[in-house]
Amino acid sequence: MSESVISVENLVKLYGDLRAVDDISFEVRTGEVFAFLGPNGAGKTTTVEIIETIRNATSGKVLIFGMDVRKNRTEIIKRIGVLPQEFSSFDRLTVEETVRYFAALFESDCDVQHLINLVNLGKHRNQLYTNLSGGLKQRVGIAVALVNDPEIVFLDEPTTGLDPRARHDVWDVINGLKKEGKTVFLTTHYMEEAEVLADTVAIISRGRIISTGSPSELIDKHSTSIHVTIKGGMGISSVAEAMGLQWEAKNGGSVVMEARDNEQILEIMMRLKEKNIGYDSIDIRKANLEEVFLKLTGEGLSGGGGH
Amino acid sequence: MNSRRIAANFNANIRGFYRNKATVFFVVLFPILLMLLFGMIFQDTGENMGPLYIQDMDGGVHSEALINALNSSGVFDVKLVEPGTDADSYITAHHVNTFIVIPEGFSDSVNMRFLNRSLPAANITILYDPGNSAAQQKIGVITQIINGMNMAYSGSQPFVGIDAVPSVSDDYKYIDFFAPGIIAMSVMTSSLFGTVGMNIELRQKGILRKLATTPITRSEWLVSNILYQFIMAMISFTAIILVGVVIFGLKPHLNGYLFLFIILEVFAFSGIGMLITRFVRDADGAQAAANAIMFPMMFLSGTFFPVEMMPDLLQKVARLLPLYYVNEGLRSAMVDMNLNTIIESAVVIGVFGVVVFILGVLLTSWKED
Repeated sequence: MSESVISVENLVKLYGDLRAVDDISFEVRTGEVFAFLGPNGAGKTTTVEIIETIRNATSGKVLIFGMDVRKNRTEIIKRIGVLPQEFSSFDRLTVEETVRYFAALFESDCDVQHLINLVNLGKHRNQLYTNLSGGLKQRVGIAVALVNDPEIVFLDEPTTGLDPRARHDVWDVINGLKKEGKTVFLTTHYMEEAEVLADTVAIISRGRIISTGSPSELIDKHSTSIHVTIKGGMGISSVAEAMGLQWEAKNGGSVVMEARDNEQILEIMMRLKEKNIGYDSIDIRKANLEEVFLKLTGEGLSGGGGH
Repeated sequence: MNSRRIAANFNANIRGFYRNKATVFFVVLFPILLMLLFGMIFQDTGENMGPLYIQDMDGGVHSEALINALNSSGVFDVKLVEPGTDADSYITAHHVNTFIVIPEGFSDSVNMRFLNRSLPAANITILYDPGNSAAQQKIGVITQIINGMNMAYSGSQPFVGIDAVPSVSDDYKYIDFFAPGIIAMSVMTSSLFGTVGMNIELRQKGILRKLATTPITRSEWLVSNILYQFIMAMISFTAIILVGVVIFGLKPHLNGYLFLFIILEVFAFSGIGMLITRFVRDADGAQAAANAIMFPMMFLSGTFFPVEMMPDLLQKVARLLPLYYVNEGLRSAMVDMNLNTIIESAVVIGVFGVVVFILGVLLTSWKED
């Protein structure tokens, strides 16, 4: 295990009586993609902004690169890159001018063309920011977050509001960052995003971290059943009945049953064979993060606080 | 303070300016339009006062002499009204503001007065609109012309004469007094609304939050914005001076004091703009607050007419307004070079500007709660 680059201890943020962040502790290791997963209003952005030094905590301790965020703002912001939530930039600067502007603020002599190509904006370099689509704007934001060659990149909801195609483009860029060895701190309320990108996921709800681990660890730890979906002829449901499993008939003539473990899966197969029941396909799948999340928090991801 | 960051932010602002039609309009075209409009309104005001309606019921030698005198003064377009017409309905129908009635028997009365000096003067009647300032001015001129007639008829020589000499050198026109007011107003508008607009826009779009994660400091950002507002002010200034010189024959005295006042004004109104956006968080409210500050100032500070024309109370109010001192100072610098006025105004607006600006810097922050 590599060393931790961000360390958060007992972080609390109060807004009046509201405990926006309620005693959170976690660590982020160098080089990993760390995802904060939770619905809107869970306290993700507040926590991230405290780590980014632009918001003050009520209590608790936050260290980046071993430095206290309260005391070392100047040093810290030179070494991190930030894509804020709902990033926006100057309407009347072109893509290239925007990247150059932020590079100048960091006194960085980075290769602007390289950055623009990295986020696939080569064709749009001379377009005004205001004329770009949402996905392209987000990619400008990511390029801008990289002008100082940061060791940690913070991406706050980088794909919210993007269509699936644009979302996958952003994911490609994030995977590229990981390959370059950068630490990525991602906040998202998209399950799939965390599952696809993250090495470590912290599930956050109502200001608290409920569970932490890799996506597969979380699923192993919290899922209690395996979905067995069998599509085929008559009599499939009788197998589930005979074994006392929960089952449900789905559209298209398939039956989903909930197996507890591999033993039960084998038993299902045996019974199918004994009774000579035919089938077109069998799909065996563990629960996904969405189900784990629902189970842990009792709330949906995209619901909750709204925007 | 890092000059590369200041320059980068300044460049971004300048690009945002010339790529935005609305800001170009307000900084360049709006002051030009104001100059053209007011320049034309006040052009040659001393020459012609418009129509003067005269109904001559007398038709005698003296009424004719009076009409001739009024006519040859060149101040009026004399229009004769038929003696049979009803004066009141004629005035209403033709929107007349000044109407002279020379009564029947006027010439006879004058002749009698020649013979017997103890008789009362022969009167004419002037019907006028008391709410119309042009009518008041016309009556003033008519009185002068009639005084001239009286002197000639009585054969006396004046005891007191007037030798009117302009207190400022050369032959200044109204435009020379008006241009400094337009400059002061344009600089106020662009600094105030420029600062309010920029702060609101950057905050609403979350650009300020992004800037807070970069090394640019608030003071670097402010310096570059002040520099930008000053350039905007100089663009408005140049446009106004050019229109004044080319179209209206303005003779501006360009000197260091002028630029001093423009710099101080930029500081003062950018500072007010910063304070507004600090306390009024939503966009519409901030614009309304800026308007509420700007409009009374525009009319009370002597931009369009001299402060001395207002009642005492309003004159006292005017002396509390920062724009008044900019107007006074700029006018002195551009017209009569009264050093006392220049220094006094510069001190007042300078102290005000520094205080407001420092308050703005101290009270605003990028950091969220």
